[in-house]
Amino acid sequence: GGGGGGGGGGAYWVDSQQKRYVPVKGDHVIGIVTAKTGDVFKLDVGGSEQASLSYLAFEGATKRNRPNVQVGDLIYGQFLVANKDMEPEMVCIDSSGRSSGMGIIGQDGFLFKVSLGLIRKLLAPKCEIIQELSQLYPFELVLGMNGRIWVKAKTVQQTLIIVNILEACEYMTAEQRKQALAKLSGN
Amino acid sequence: SFIIEERSFMPCEDLLYGRMSFKGFNPEIEKLMIQMNSRSKEEEIEVDDKMEADVSDEEMARRYETLVGTIGKKFLRKRDQRVLQGEDEDGNSNTRPSKKAKKKFLKPQD
Repeated sequence: GGGGGGGGGGAYWVDSQQKRYVPVKGDHVIGIVTAKTGDVFKLDVGGSEQASLSYLAFEGATKRNRPNVQVGDLIYGQFLVANKDMEPEMVCIDSSGRSSGMGIIGQDGFLFKVSLGLIRKLLAPKCEIIQELSQLYPFELVLGMNGRIWVKAKTVQQTLIIVNILEACEYMTAEQRKQALAKLSGN
Repeated sequence: SFIIEERSFMPCEDLLYGRMSFKGFNPEIEKLMIQMNSRSKEEEIEVDDKMEADVSDEEMARRYETLVGTIGKKFLRKRDQRVLQGEDEDGNSNTRPSKKAKKKFLKPQD
């Protein structure tokens, strides 16, 4: 389905169910390293093309001090270049050269996919789902605009519980979700 | 025309920063969350006037007092350094024969 919205500054956008991610400049996404060729890494970001990431685009990286990136690693970064004419390019530093939380996402944890609409819902300020989950137990979360979510909690079981709730949010009503969480908090 | 096309959702919906941590799982990320999200909302970030210092102010002042002297000594000319050494040894002059701090130039005897 579709819907429209009006922003404060006279911005209008069309909201629709989108399955396939299209790289957009400035978006923060989770990429998977698929290749390491010379000075450039290739990342799968879930789009039609792979994105490139230079080894120098990390905080404190120099020709001698290269980041320790391996094939299969997860990277949180933003698009520097993303248009239909060129291969998308990612970086893990912001305009002032700081990493700002971007870079290699640590070991362990669990990566899964959700719809793009759910990501936007989860990133909205004061999102109820996030607020309810944050009461359960300590955990870490990375939300990529490309529909990828990475979760890490202290135990595998806790991690998977969060994954299941987030996946189920696609079709659960708020009431069902609150009931499921209440059962968990009771344990 | 006054219509600009924007492909990202970010400016539309005021979305939060994508990395999150809860209940202290990753303290660095939690600090980052406060920084990044208040930046977008343009709230005033509370500035810590007094940062937790490893060294107290008093200790710092004491160190500086002696530090200035120590570094100052480095830049003295060699002659002046020996004078200083002489002053330091004054306390021990009773037990040891004191050396002349400054050697005077001896004229060669014809």
